Amino acid sequence: MAQKKITRKSPVTSKEGDAPGPAKTYVSSKMPLEPLQKPFQRADLIFDGVDHSGATFEARVFLNNESASAKTPTTVQNGYAGSFHIFGHGGCFGDDVGHCEVRGVPRQYDPRPAHPLTPARKVLIATEALRRIASRGKHLTVTVVPIVLAGTPKCDYENVLKFDKISVVTYV
Amino acid sequence: MANGLTVRSSIEGLEHIAGGLDALRDAYTKMQKLSDNRGWLYWAGIHGFPQYMCWHHGRVGMGDQLPYDLFLPWHRAYLLYFEHTARDQNNAAALPWWDWTSPGAHSVGIPHSYSVPQVSGKSNSLASGPMPAMPPNPAGHTVRHPRRPATLPTAAHVHSLMALGNFVDFTIQVQDVHDAVHGWVGGSMGVVAISAFDPIFWSHHCMIDRIWYLWQLRNGVNNIPADYLDKPLAPFALTVRDVLDINRLGYEYAQSSVTINA
Repeated sequence: MAQKKITRKSPVTSKEGDAPGPAKTYVSSKMPLEPLQKPFQRADLIFDGVDHSGATFEARVFLNNESASAKTPTTVQNGYAGSFHIFGHGGCFGDDVGHCEVRGVPRQYDPRPAHPLTPARKVLIATEALRRIASRGKHLTVTVVPIVLAGTPKCDYENVLKFDKISVVTYV
Repeated sequence: MANGLTVRSSIEGLEHIAGGLDALRDAYTKMQKLSDNRGWLYWAGIHGFPQYMCWHHGRVGMGDQLPYDLFLPWHRAYLLYFEHTARDQNNAAALPWWDWTSPGAHSVGIPHSYSVPQVSGKSNSLASGPMPAMPPNPAGHTVRHPRRPATLPTAAHVHSLMALGNFVDFTIQVQDVHDAVHGWVGGSMGVVAISAFDPIFWSHHCMIDRIWYLWQLRNGVNNIPADYLDKPLAPFALTVRDVLDINRLGYEYAQSSVTINA
């Protein structure tokens, strides 16, 4: 007997292929390399204030490759340093205006944890990639290419990548 | 059970045992039919929609001006409560972990037992879970859009995390692997709001919890910032201190277990 095929549809999610177009890439201004030219055991790229309210995505990080895109192979030759990932909330499903607005500094005596959409810190361990760059040039640019993996129709796929700052930190 | 502890096993291991997943499947089937606080929608709804109690990334609050990250202890408590709720429906049920680093996972992706739509002529409660109405969307069932199996995280990458001796550093890195797998499965698992309605969510987080356990074996069970210890893990009646030792919580991770009478 043929097995009955059950097809179920989630009314909420959309596939990555449903995104209206590629997500915008970020290219940093030039960062001085002098601080990296002392010996280090580990080097991190730290992204602060990363928004995770929308779609879920992989953020591919390339060094000194301002033209990197979703089609750029993730190879050492292309300056690929690694990826970080954002597990997004998928947009706002609250009933009323303000549900997804991050509360400000907690008031005194407020026992509640901060808002779930408090922007995140992501740390990419990029020791070898930064070591290669430090040995070659004087400047560093960071290109971040978001690849949307999942979302809902409530998500702004094009502008999925939002963060406040990048830091390059080395450890002896 | 080993010494009265619940033994959590791998999905792959249980797939090789006749009826290995029957108790879990039975428990999930019953939970998915319940509409009260014993049911699937209630417990999955704690994570994202509608309660949004889940903890991801560092946050300030509860009187602290410095951020702290309760991702690992919060999900450990969540899984514990959920597992007991499942065992109320079938006492033999235990959460299995989905080892997405295994050669098998890198070949087939989602385990067969979690993807086959029917088992013995009935809907497979491991393949999909009910979802509530989320206006303007009606109620429905979870779906997945998995990517290529070979792009799942590797054993080598997870192994490299074991050498990170600082808990905060380890949390950030293991959370990134966690995020990657949610994105890899895609569909309902792909967003915080609805991921817990998918049955594979629980086994994915079981793997994350197991990785933390293995890290604790190497780096110390109590290796966590002291100011985390008394943080409550709302809505569960547990603090961070309470969930550090999984044996004290009544479970263990084992690849296999053999017992003989003396």
